[in-house]
Amino acid sequence: MKSLDPRVERLPIPAAVGAPSPLDQFGTFEVFVQPKEGKPFQHEGAVHAPNLEMAFVLAKETFTRRFTCVSLYVVETDNVFVSAVTEGNQNVYDVLPDAKNGNGKEESFEIYHLLKRGKQPVHVGTVQATDAARAMLRARERFNSGAVVFNVWAVRTSDIRFTSPDENDFWQTLPEKKFRDAGDYKGGDKLKEFLERSK
Amino acid sequence: MYGGGNTFEGIASDSLATEDPEKLAAFEARIARGEKIEPADWMPQLYRKQLIRMIEQHAHSEIIGALPEGTWITRAPGFKRKLALMAKVQDEVGHAQLLYSAAETLGKTREQMIQDLISGKSKYSNIFNYPAFTWADACFISWLVDAGAIVNQLANVKGSYGPYCRALDRICAEESFHLKYGHHCVIYLAAGTPKQREMFQEAINRWWAPMMHFFGPADKISAHTQVLMNWKVKMATNDDTRNQFLDMYVPKIWELGFTIPDPALRKNTETGRWEYTEPDWEEFKRVINGDGPCNKERLEVRRVAETRGRWVREALRSATMKYVEPLV
Repeated sequence: MKSLDPRVERLPIPAAVGAPSPLDQFGTFEVFVQPKEGKPFQHEGAVHAPNLEMAFVLAKETFTRRFTCVSLYVVETDNVFVSAVTEGNQNVYDVLPDAKNGNGKEESFEIYHLLKRGKQPVHVGTVQATDAARAMLRARERFNSGAVVFNVWAVRTSDIRFTSPDENDFWQTLPEKKFRDAGDYKGGDKLKEFLERSK
Repeated sequence: MYGGGNTFEGIASDSLATEDPEKLAAFEARIARGEKIEPADWMPQLYRKQLIRMIEQHAHSEIIGALPEGTWITRAPGFKRKLALMAKVQDEVGHAQLLYSAAETLGKTREQMIQDLISGKSKYSNIFNYPAFTWADACFISWLVDAGAIVNQLANVKGSYGPYCRALDRICAEESFHLKYGHHCVIYLAAGTPKQREMFQEAINRWWAPMMHFFGPADKISAHTQVLMNWKVKMATNDDTRNQFLDMYVPKIWELGFTIPDPALRKNTETGRWEYTEPDWEEFKRVINGDGPCNKERLEVRRVAETRGRWVREALRSATMKYVEPLV
């Protein structure tokens, strides 16, 4: 192909590349980050990946290239249980449907609250329950402090791909990457010198 | 980076006739209160359709916009510039990931968006259909095209759709690096040798028309978009964003001793608005419809990347993983 880009010139491009056949899509994963040591994890966005490990790597690349977090975890979107969303002064805990006690073994669930529309759900704590619906009811007993909660999320702790302690150096090398920062491009002196010179 | 001046679909006068008037009123009241619309909320079909179109165009612009700059990574003047340009191009592609997710919450799958880009069905910012001949062109893009993008994005961040606004918050934070880096590159060319100055002057001469096109057709000839303004989908008119860009950056270009190839360009001190020769909107239409210097190459490069990467995706694909819409 005729191009100004030498790399494009080198590409062995077939005369006509057919339209790609429809691919199955990758899975969807939700990403949570901890912005600072001691702060709770909060929902940050989603990535698509073929498995949990790849989702973790992609989440790191997509959301944490700069000094925005100290830790991160991912979970398959289907494993995030979401309550209804309420309006006005309606606390979602007041409208949670009843759930019978399950017979199964109790497991731990991570609980997240949405306290303001337009913001992200933020982690508030962990409860033990037999299923997600029960976990939300348990969360009502423990975390319903009076503030209006518009939306509750529950995630089984065992479904989460956490950052292991030896993976923390992902973020510890960021201070060496000043070249990603606006602050590394101060042109003021050069500009001043140029303006003086061209007077 | 983002091409403004979105091409919205024409809006039929009866397009709201089938919507439930009560729900529509509640939806509009929520926007008027300054609350965000979230994926689970009721919304008119027209809102959903136009937002998907706008966010998808934005995402495609990030992907395609990385190509003319990416061209210069291998030929950047020196290690520091190469490092910075790689980081910038990675940012742009990362922005596309965030934006595709935001569009997906409205019901269009990522795979479908990528196919619509490759088949030429979806649009992206027109400015990326022009070639980056020299390093100075890459500097023009990094500084001024990104500056134009920031003007648009800072307006859109106040829009009504929650997931799009949250993606833009993150994008705007990263754009500040692009802008400073671009300005830094241009200052060094301006303060450099006569040849370097000449290179950048030529880049301005080549890119000024596409830059004026960047914000979209003049208000007097653009499609009626009042309902999109009321719904905070479109946050400012094309002429207003163009004027804001000129106000912020023409003085900076002049400060460096460069000229702008438009003898009519001046600020009207009475109105506070910039006057300029009307850009050639016929050329804009021609290029956006496929007949620009690089349209074919841009899509072809994207298509080849997609085709060559297919075996990797197929090797990784697992039967137990299934696609669902992101939550918010």
